[in-house]
Amino acid sequence: MISERLKKIICDELYLDPSSIEIKDETEANEVPGWDSLNHANIIVAIEKDYGVRFKGLEVLKCNNVGALQNLVDSKI
Amino acid sequence: MFGIDISKLPDLFLFDPNYPLLFGSSLFLFLFFALLVFYRIFAKSNNARNLVLIVFSLYFYYMAGGVFVLLLILNAVLNFYFGKWMGAAKGENNKRTFLLLALLFNLGLLAYFKYTNFFIQLINDINIGQFELLDIILPLGISFYTFKSLSYILDIYLEVMEPTKSFRDYFIFVTFFPNILSGPIDRAVKFLPQINKTYNLTRKDIAMGLMLIMMGLIKKIMIADYISLNFVDRVFDSPIRFTGVENLLAVYGYALQLYCDFSGYSDIAIGIALLLGFKLMENFNYPFKAKSVSDFWKRWHISLSSWLLDYVFRPLQMTFRNWGKVGNITALVITFVLVGFWHGASWAFLIWGLLHGLYMGIGLLVQGPKRKFYNKYNLFNSKIFGGIQIFITFNLVAFSFIFIRANNFESAIDVVKQILFFFKPNVFIQFIEGFTPTFILIVLGFLFHFLPSSLGDKVTDELSKMNIFVQAIIFTIVIWIITQVQSADLQPFIYFQF
Repeated sequence: MISERLKKIICDELYLDPSSIEIKDETEANEVPGWDSLNHANIIVAIEKDYGVRFKGLEVLKCNNVGALQNLVDSKI
Repeated sequence: MFGIDISKLPDLFLFDPNYPLLFGSSLFLFLFFALLVFYRIFAKSNNARNLVLIVFSLYFYYMAGGVFVLLLILNAVLNFYFGKWMGAAKGENNKRTFLLLALLFNLGLLAYFKYTNFFIQLINDINIGQFELLDIILPLGISFYTFKSLSYILDIYLEVMEPTKSFRDYFIFVTFFPNILSGPIDRAVKFLPQINKTYNLTRKDIAMGLMLIMMGLIKKIMIADYISLNFVDRVFDSPIRFTGVENLLAVYGYALQLYCDFSGYSDIAIGIALLLGFKLMENFNYPFKAKSVSDFWKRWHISLSSWLLDYVFRPLQMTFRNWGKVGNITALVITFVLVGFWHGASWAFLIWGLLHGLYMGIGLLVQGPKRKFYNKYNLFNSKIFGGIQIFITFNLVAFSFIFIRANNFESAIDVVKQILFFFKPNVFIQFIEGFTPTFILIVLGFLFHFLPSSLGDKVTDELSKMNIFVQAIIFTIVIWIITQVQSADLQPFIYFQF
């Protein structure tokens, strides 16, 4: 399950309305409007700031969908 | 009998550096046809087909690249074991050790063959020391098969896939002859599962395969070879002897030539693979329809750009992620300089890569204001503005190609100078009169490029409805027309040198 908090961070970063978009475990970055390879870094930084955590580069590279990103966040807090 | 000269038979099995086996040659077409017949006969036996595929692939590479076939075999053997050991390794550190070994082996060989003389020259030029250049022959396709193998190793490391248990399957992936010399740089994760599927071609697959091979040959032989020999080469050989308008047309012509040459090769590779039951990844998607340089890189040499995106840009971007935009721009510039360097060890390619890195970096810097401007004047949906974007992007890309094509840096500057200061637009009419077939081919080439892509699908649909004999007749007629137009000996594909 994707938490509301993670969803909000992603939507804020991409100027999306959280109520207008569905983000599931298996959602991949390129399925979310505006989430491209360039602003990917901004989203990761925003997540790190909000949760006060620090990911390793390799950990983020291994995430192939939002569910994996959620698991990574959960493992850090 | 049958006009066959038996004494020439050994030539079929001996590598001749002057006549490497190329896709467009009649010998290749004949051998490929024989391979297809075999495939048909053994449609039900995966083992027999895969064995023949391996033998044919090794034969093909030997006939194109000679003794370096041994290097290819070594590449397949070692990378298979690197992958296997990495998959079995416990703990991040052990995994990383195997990753480093694999990188050292693959990039070390690539660097030796491709970059040794570049660095020796550099050392000589800046007077650190004086060394003789080495007599190194570049093994054909090494940049392509090295990257193919590395994607397998890196995907295991990034846990995108498990290492394959079958050495035979991995061997087929590395040596697969359609994409060995010039891509597409396929990913093991997509390719391996296709090896053991039943060989069952649909009518659509056959039509699509034939269509791709025909289009590829037309692009390569009728357009790229013709305009290069008859026009582009002449202008680039001595730009100051031509007016600006001719130089500009040669620059546009070269953009079309490079596209037709390389995407033509990719089309043939993808078509041939399709007839053998493999779906390779797309490599070109109407690149000159791009509305920005970043859009261009999603459409041009997609298998390389996505490779660099996944394995170079993303890791760099993660490393620099706290630097904001500067981090992204740094990662972009490094990635594109590497794109240039991958193409060849020369300043020309470095400049070309750097230019694209800068285009992308500037694009990123002005992204915010640009979006506001477009929104304010409602330009996002304007067709005219879209056309202007396409035109600007095309010119930026064509400008960058000058550095690749020009014989040296001074000559590249001459081309630009002639265009800026000696344009002489009225020479255009003389050009059309003097180079009528070239002009028609350039116009037709771009025209076909800008037609809706659905048109190609419709033609393929029609072709798939036809009887196999009618398809064969059409195919033969197209080949015949191409051989009539063929200007001279088949020109080597530009991308072979990379």
